Amino acid sequence: MLEFILAKYNYWIYILIMMIGLYAMLAKNNLIKKIIGMGIFQTAIIIFYVSAGAKRGGTIPIIEHAHGAEGNAVDVLHYINPLPHVLMLTAIVVSVGTLGVALALALRIYGRYNSLEEDEILDRIDQDETATETTGALPTTMIQS
Amino acid sequence: MIWQIDLLILTLIVICGFCTIVVKDLLGAAVIFGAYSFLMCLLWTEMGAVDVAFTEASVGAGVSTVLFFAAVHRTTRHVKMKPSGRLMGKTIGLAAAGLMGCVLLYATTDFPSWADPNSPASTHVSPRYITGTIPDTSVPNMVTSVLADYRGFDTMFETAVILTAGLAVLIILGQTGNRSPLPISRLPQGPITQGYDDTIIRFITRIMTPFLQLFALYVIAHGHHSPGGGFQGGVILGATFILMSISYDLRMVTNRFNERTNLLLANTGLLIYSGIGALCLILGANFLDYSALAKILPGTTTITARSEAMLGVEIGVALAVMAIVILIYNNLVSNGTYENGL
Repeated sequence: MLEFILAKYNYWIYILIMMIGLYAMLAKNNLIKKIIGMGIFQTAIIIFYVSAGAKRGGTIPIIEHAHGAEGNAVDVLHYINPLPHVLMLTAIVVSVGTLGVALALALRIYGRYNSLEEDEILDRIDQDETATETTGALPTTMIQS
Repeated sequence: MIWQIDLLILTLIVICGFCTIVVKDLLGAAVIFGAYSFLMCLLWTEMGAVDVAFTEASVGAGVSTVLFFAAVHRTTRHVKMKPSGRLMGKTIGLAAAGLMGCVLLYATTDFPSWADPNSPASTHVSPRYITGTIPDTSVPNMVTSVLADYRGFDTMFETAVILTAGLAVLIILGQTGNRSPLPISRLPQGPITQGYDDTIIRFITRIMTPFLQLFALYVIAHGHHSPGGGFQGGVILGATFILMSISYDLRMVTNRFNERTNLLLANTGLLIYSGIGALCLILGANFLDYSALAKILPGTTTITARSEAMLGVEIGVALAVMAIVILIYNNLVSNGTYENGL
């Protein structure tokens, strides 16, 4: 039983981190909080991939004493799997791009509705729509922006 | 890998993640999220993923936190308290997250045990990368050789994604209407007046910046032999400009390094990458098959040519990443107007 827990507890904690992120994305009212939730969700996925490359007894994926020892055989079990590292390294850099786009959208929404709270924004969108229907004119917020 | 340290860091990560989403102050949430990223970086070092840890330290703990500060600076730091409302949304969110968690927990019974050297992920293609990196490319750091050579296509399009993200930020926040679309004219030229005028901070920034940039160049150039490479070095280079624009003023940076230069550099970076690929094509090999470059690079064999072409590719990546990081920060902090920053 203890062996089973030791073999799997890492995955359980990753799932817990992912659940925190998913909950923040779904249930938080504030847009910045939702974006933070997205970041937490992303790291949970990344950590899962990186842990898939881990090897018990393996060292970091840089060949030891490479120069002058080119003839030596490289033991595969001695080095951690580099492939998940590569995929996740680029994913982290792309995550800063998605973060930038998400924050830019939040800034535009704040500029137009003067709020970051989801329910207030929805209320103001509803008001705008009813104003358009009754008067036929563009809502004031749209003209300002 | 020491499982006690692993468990300790994971516990701290869960605590930080939980605090980030419950704290009522957005600036505080951003700071805790930075700490969360830093703990992630420690965890990856502990797992042996040094390149990933390096990227996380520069991107997650560094630039992301600053981007959150910029966004909070332009909006508000207060989260409105509504104790009674949104009970429905919270229940649905909790139920969905719980359901997802239960399904995944059930799935973990089929996973290979953690850090198993014979897991499927470590037995198919990765042994070829591990044993092949020195005979094929003469690059000891296999993360760099897989990134820039074996899976060069992947990295090229990741760089393109970053460029697209930067352009998207520009389109979302850039001024529309009767202004010129390429906004060199929208840069207000003028003396540095605004900002938090602190002699000590400005002096230290001025002294440190050249060394930081030298370090970034070292990270780019030495990525073949140690953790590092184009992505990490590019983000550090971008961060030095962000540091200058925080400690002085946004104008100090944009006067020297305006948006047009920025976009030009980002495109040049991607062009260097795809240009090296196209050059291989012209020399009669496959796209991004660097061994063909031995014909034109003096003093190289088909093996060392791959190593040198990787350096060229990393430089391209670094240019693109640096320019886009600066572009995103500048636009976020000034709400797209380039008038004043933090």
